[in-house]
Amino acid sequence: MEYFEPKTISEAVSLLAKYGESAKVVAGGTDVIVDIKFKEEPPCLVNIKRIPALSYVREDKGFLRIGALTSIREIEMSSLVRQKLPLLWEASHQFASLQIRNTATIGGNVCRASPSGEMLAPLLVLEANAVARFPRGEKKLPFGELFLGPGKTSLGSKGLLKEIEIALPPQESGGVYLKHAVRGAMDIAMVGVAVLVTPDAGGKKAKDVRIGLGAVAPTPIRAKSAEKALRGKVMARALVEEAARRAAADAKPITDHRASAEYRRWIVEALTRKGLAQAWKAATGKEVEG
Amino acid sequence: MSLKIRLVVNGRRHTTKIDPATSLLDFLRDTLGYKGVKICCNTGECGACTILLNGKPVNSCVVLAADAAGAQIVTVEGLAEGDKLHPVQQAFIDTGAVQCGYCTPGFIMSVKALLDRSKNPTPEEIEEAVSGNICRCTGYAKIVEAIEIAAQRMAERS
Repeated sequence: MEYFEPKTISEAVSLLAKYGESAKVVAGGTDVIVDIKFKEEPPCLVNIKRIPALSYVREDKGFLRIGALTSIREIEMSSLVRQKLPLLWEASHQFASLQIRNTATIGGNVCRASPSGEMLAPLLVLEANAVARFPRGEKKLPFGELFLGPGKTSLGSKGLLKEIEIALPPQESGGVYLKHAVRGAMDIAMVGVAVLVTPDAGGKKAKDVRIGLGAVAPTPIRAKSAEKALRGKVMARALVEEAARRAAADAKPITDHRASAEYRRWIVEALTRKGLAQAWKAATGKEVEG
Repeated sequence: MSLKIRLVVNGRRHTTKIDPATSLLDFLRDTLGYKGVKICCNTGECGACTILLNGKPVNSCVVLAADAAGAQIVTVEGLAEGDKLHPVQQAFIDTGAVQCGYCTPGFIMSVKALLDRSKNPTPEEIEEAVSGNICRCTGYAKIVEAIEIAAQRMAERS
């Protein structure tokens, strides 16, 4: 196995251009090392951990910027994330174990593109951008177009993720992330639901509703028909229940050793209903009324 | 190919050549001989191989040895001072928080990290600190008791 520790992003991108599909990028290593041990050793390993200044959380004119090498623990400990993006904070807090949070990076979690990746549904509803470097320059890839399938992103074999850019949601919005798993720690989500609701000025109607679902399709997805059912409408209990049913229909889960597809749909419905109610309360201080 | 790394383990300097695909766990156990670092799931799920990397608990089985270049590492072997065990080790013995003992070094390292960052941990902090460590003998009640006693003793001592 050839091994490189590039010291700059340009050097890393040149290595990816040269080695193409045979190169594997490693950051924290919590997934890649397991693959090396139990699947196969890649012909070429590009360890980007020594590239300086890629670990940060900073606010910048209405955006929060998170460096690709920022550990999940650093995100969890960031008061900026906790205040401004509570749903992303919740996902970082529920992420695996303390040991893994100290090691795993947000860039690795994104590029791994696991359907159940903890940070992905929140980043989808936050409509984040992946700022990536390609041989021909930098590109911003919206999260909505980033995930192509399990383990596959539009970064391909040549792009290197540099930063996650998140436009701060309106101050009056409320966001939550709910995860369903059997064991509290370490468990991969059976279902993850991220909800962001922005009320209108009157505090009765939902101006904007975004619902992200994890672990119930080949990629994390937005529950579009559920969102549509609520957008611009008065947040009433019957409508929230209808939206939750639609979210269950939007999901395309599989049956595996963790749960059956049918069970996952029930959980999507339950968590969407609960998530909408909690997000509405976080935004307005009021319960969803009947 | 091989890679030359320098690092400090339990206060001792090492300069060694490694295969870049080696995990920190295999490097610590097989190359340097720190057998207190336990190999168990080998996939980052059970916490038996927990060590402190620059003061933070990590699962050494899912860290590249190459990433420990220039780092300070503490394993369970580095906690005692001569014949005197670390208060966390002593508390595990005093409360009988050890059954088969295989998970114990990993637990001890997670608890050491907890008490380094929080002198008077709440029950929630204790639970969170060891939630990435699995005891298959399921002796959790005594482990929690040991952590509480260790925290008390360390607070009294300082």
